[in-house]
Amino acid sequence: MKLWALILCVGVGLFFLCAVILLAGASPLAVGAALWSGAFGSRYDVGETLVQTIPLVLTGLAVALSFRARLMNIGAEGQLLLGAIAATGVGVLKLPAPIHLPLCLLAGALAGALWSGLAGALKLWRGVQEVLSTLLLNFIAVQLVAWVVRGPLQEAARQFPQSDRLLTPAKFVVLLPGTRLHAGVLLALILTLIVWAFLKYAAAGFALRAVGASPEAAEASGIPLKRTMLTTFLLSGALAGLAGAVQICGVTYLLADKYSPGYGYTAIAVALMANLSAPGVLLSALLFGALTAGGSSVQQAGISSVVIQVLQAIVLFALLAYGWLARRGGRA
Amino acid sequence: MVEARGIVRRFGSFTALDGVNFDVRPGEIHALLGENGAGKSTLMNVLSGLLRPSAGELFLEGQPVRFASPADATARGVGMVHQHFLLVPSLSVGENLLLGASARLGGPWSYPLRSVLGEAKALAEQLGWKLPWDALAGSLSVGVQQRIEILKALRGGAKLLLFDEPTSVLTPTETPELFDVIRRLAQEGRGVVFISHKLDEVLSLADRITVLRRGKVVASFARSEADEALLATAMVGEESEAARMLAIPLRSAPQPPVMGEPEGEVPPNLEDRGQKYSQGEPRLTVTELTLNTSGGKPALDRVSLCVAAGEILGIAGVDGNGQTELAECLTGLKLPSSGTITIENQKPTPTPAGFLAAGVTSVPADRQRRGLALSMTLTENLALGTFSDARFRKGPFLSWSALRERTREAIARFDIRAEGPGATAGSLSGGNQQKVVLARALADSPKVIIAVNPTRGLDVGAIAFVHQALRQAQSGGAAILLISTELDEVLALSGRIGVLFEGRLTPASDTSRSALGRLMGGVL
Repeated sequence: MKLWALILCVGVGLFFLCAVILLAGASPLAVGAALWSGAFGSRYDVGETLVQTIPLVLTGLAVALSFRARLMNIGAEGQLLLGAIAATGVGVLKLPAPIHLPLCLLAGALAGALWSGLAGALKLWRGVQEVLSTLLLNFIAVQLVAWVVRGPLQEAARQFPQSDRLLTPAKFVVLLPGTRLHAGVLLALILTLIVWAFLKYAAAGFALRAVGASPEAAEASGIPLKRTMLTTFLLSGALAGLAGAVQICGVTYLLADKYSPGYGYTAIAVALMANLSAPGVLLSALLFGALTAGGSSVQQAGISSVVIQVLQAIVLFALLAYGWLARRGGRA
Repeated sequence: MVEARGIVRRFGSFTALDGVNFDVRPGEIHALLGENGAGKSTLMNVLSGLLRPSAGELFLEGQPVRFASPADATARGVGMVHQHFLLVPSLSVGENLLLGASARLGGPWSYPLRSVLGEAKALAEQLGWKLPWDALAGSLSVGVQQRIEILKALRGGAKLLLFDEPTSVLTPTETPELFDVIRRLAQEGRGVVFISHKLDEVLSLADRITVLRRGKVVASFARSEADEALLATAMVGEESEAARMLAIPLRSAPQPPVMGEPEGEVPPNLEDRGQKYSQGEPRLTVTELTLNTSGGKPALDRVSLCVAAGEILGIAGVDGNGQTELAECLTGLKLPSSGTITIENQKPTPTPAGFLAAGVTSVPADRQRRGLALSMTLTENLALGTFSDARFRKGPFLSWSALRERTREAIARFDIRAEGPGATAGSLSGGNQQKVVLARALADSPKVIIAVNPTRGLDVGAIAFVHQALRQAQSGGAAILLISTELDEVLALSGRIGVLFEGRLTPASDTSRSALGRLMGGVL
């Protein structure tokens, strides 16, 4: 049953994919080859894939954590942007070198937690659906970035809508010479491990899962619902904010308008595909990271890189369909 | 006008209706009386086309009929006023009437709001009602919502009207108004079926009264033949088969040592037994507990009770008379509007965690929602009860190996049929799920146990097991408050008995079945 469902989903997915590529007037094989070489073809390409993977891991963990508590935080994008703003603000200051990077990361996490905590407070004390509030806070965050890079954080030259570059001690070191792969990848790995252990072994993680599994039963057994939900909002926002800080300190070194290419939205797909498990997020983030990194080179196969977004959507649909079929098969 | 002959309705192996004969004549109000689960609602659903009988025949004005659906029944003149209103709160009154309106009022694409409203307004005028047609249904009081339900049932010229516990949601002033309306509808030549468990209402309204018990018609009276005692006895029966089956394991269960219970048979007069029990130290004391609701009448009205160590206090009553609210107040889930709750003379912190810390555990009525997290494992479900317990903590972590070990013990002790500690609660049968809930409630010799309908939906073997477990907890010195709609269960287990009716608790000085039946029917 499961195998049959898998073959069906992969088959249908590939069919649509090939159809889209053929309609766009290119060869599916050439596109596939270009994608592969773009993502894993050289040392530099592997580095790029990992650079794309890091923010997806962190935001994916953020989404997975809140979804596990059945809190629909779809505001990882906004929380990431807030984290980026805060990290930039701290990064351009003159601070003691050894603590400069940790302070940037901390500021990013706190700013992200503040943004999600706002949605959490609205839900717990005013009954506002978090799906709505986190989404709307995303739009505010985008405008906030646009304002700070023209206002308080604009570069000293006052020429472009962007911030000054970070001071060197605030930057992550590059791990692999000749690539952009930075030490943030280690942070992403460690945090994956921590989130996994938190959910599996920690009392607070158990409370989070219990609230997600059955709020009524959790409440009746003395688990404080509001506190658990608020903690979840804060942790989730902190992870997403950290993603923003890591992008500032590891990749761009400055804040510019239109900062995120939608990592926080892709994160929802990453988390759902990972079945909301922390190790799963690592794998699905790698897949989406590779698709993004490889995407730029498919243009050489004579097709717009927009096709990568279609590909991501088809991969996600196929996997969701598979999960649905597998679950239905299990029940029948 | 309507006649049901030999109606049988089975759900799986359970027979909800067993050869029921029932008829309604034009212009007559025929009351259907019975306890929870007696089959009243099932019979009503058969008459209104929602359920099809497994055997037996329905006749409408002398002709055999088979209703394909509720809509079909409505089209043939059978209207139903449900206990829980089927109104869409965010739609206006008119729009609600439009939902499911008869198809003859227009084609598939038409929007016959005007003609639907015209019909409804004419009906409302006949009944002397002024209704806010444009207001949202959710913004109206319960009494007005019921009127809209009645209009829905009447449209298309209904000849037979079915009322399912129509007074259960009404305030005392709204009830007589409803009765006037029902009488009027009957005078106009319609047949009315009125379901209730309240004896005084039945006696004041009905022309004929039929009593159902365990799916069978046990008695049928004309109004002039019936009185409260007769109806109460017919409703609750003398002693049911299930009680006899359970009697043996229950009575051989160990008796509490502290009470100085005399050797041999349980004394027939439960009140005598109660006085001996109350010599134990008082564990749970509730004084003048009141819980107001937004709807008007309080869910709990000055409830006072006291449960001693080693005692089971039984609270009988028909569903919806405040049982859930009482249990929720006593486990910290709801904050009472006034009154005090003390555990061993200490007031617990008014949160679920505070009551747990004070030694109060519970067997919730809704085991699949309040009791268990069905998607979690047995270990995790048992860990829910020990969440703030230092024994199972290692710093910020839970000691899962100790919790798993404890789950293995619980599986062995309570004979839980599961693959192991890692099985999900949802994969267990109902009886085994309840054993998990019990295992959690009884694990650490709690001071007070609040058990609500602990055997609802379980088979006879599982019922005996649950009763045995509660008896053992009692002999271990726990104070147990047993809130149950099963009178047999309350009688079999309790030292003293009280009856909840419309939020008021009345101690039963006479614990004969007919006296309890009267109290459950609201006759003091």
